[in-house]
Amino acid sequence: MAEQDDQAQSLETHRKYLQRYALFHLRDASLAEDAVQDTFIAALAQFQRFQGRSQMRTWLTGILKHKIIDLTRNRGRGLPADAFALGEDEDRGDGSFNARGKWVDPPADWGMPDAALESSQFWRVYQECCQRMSKRDALVFSMREVMGLSSEEICKKIEISTTNLHVILFRARLSLRNCMTKNWFGVHHE
Amino acid sequence: MYSCEQASKLSSRAMEQPLTLSEHLLHRMHLMLCKRCTNFARQIEFLRRASSNVPEVFEKDEG
Repeated sequence: MAEQDDQAQSLETHRKYLQRYALFHLRDASLAEDAVQDTFIAALAQFQRFQGRSQMRTWLTGILKHKIIDLTRNRGRGLPADAFALGEDEDRGDGSFNARGKWVDPPADWGMPDAALESSQFWRVYQECCQRMSKRDALVFSMREVMGLSSEEICKKIEISTTNLHVILFRARLSLRNCMTKNWFGVHHE
Repeated sequence: MYSCEQASKLSSRAMEQPLTLSEHLLHRMHLMLCKRCTNFARQIEFLRRASSNVPEVFEKDEG
């Protein structure tokens, strides 16, 4: 009995982790729940293929990544079907540069930023900054940088060109950098 | 000479695919002369490093 309780508890810990992971990418609690449920269903169906090959958490997260991408590709759920197509005027820029391509607000030195990784406040700001991007930009960015998918995989999975991918990633990085400067690196911390 | 906008786009693209030799040289030359774009390039690389830590942050949230 004790062993069963342990298992139930560790399953619940995994579920909470997966829910947070899915919510970060999907920004919608009920969509995130769907992704996690789909993950557990798929995991049960292929459980023989698991058996100690990797850690349970890593294995479940691997399945979840696919479910998140599936959900965003589904017409009418989460994102519109053409959400990943770039409009013609989308490469206009966000005001970071003037007409001659010079920085409007030149990036100043962040010093030694790695210490911030230990701060939970830093991560709150990071997550808020990710939320300020459009849903599409945030998802493409997090597929690349958080899920760690390759450029090629992302282009294939969401059917965009390499050029579009580069435009989206540049815009996302610019936006995150600006937001982190305004709300973290440009302000004083204790 | 590239503009800062072009140079920073190249910094971002270089994180996705190798630049052509001429792009690479012009990009390096721009960064050598431009502290602002050097800061930008370092910062987006830091943000990549930070982002790869996000899953660990979700683990720490567990109470």
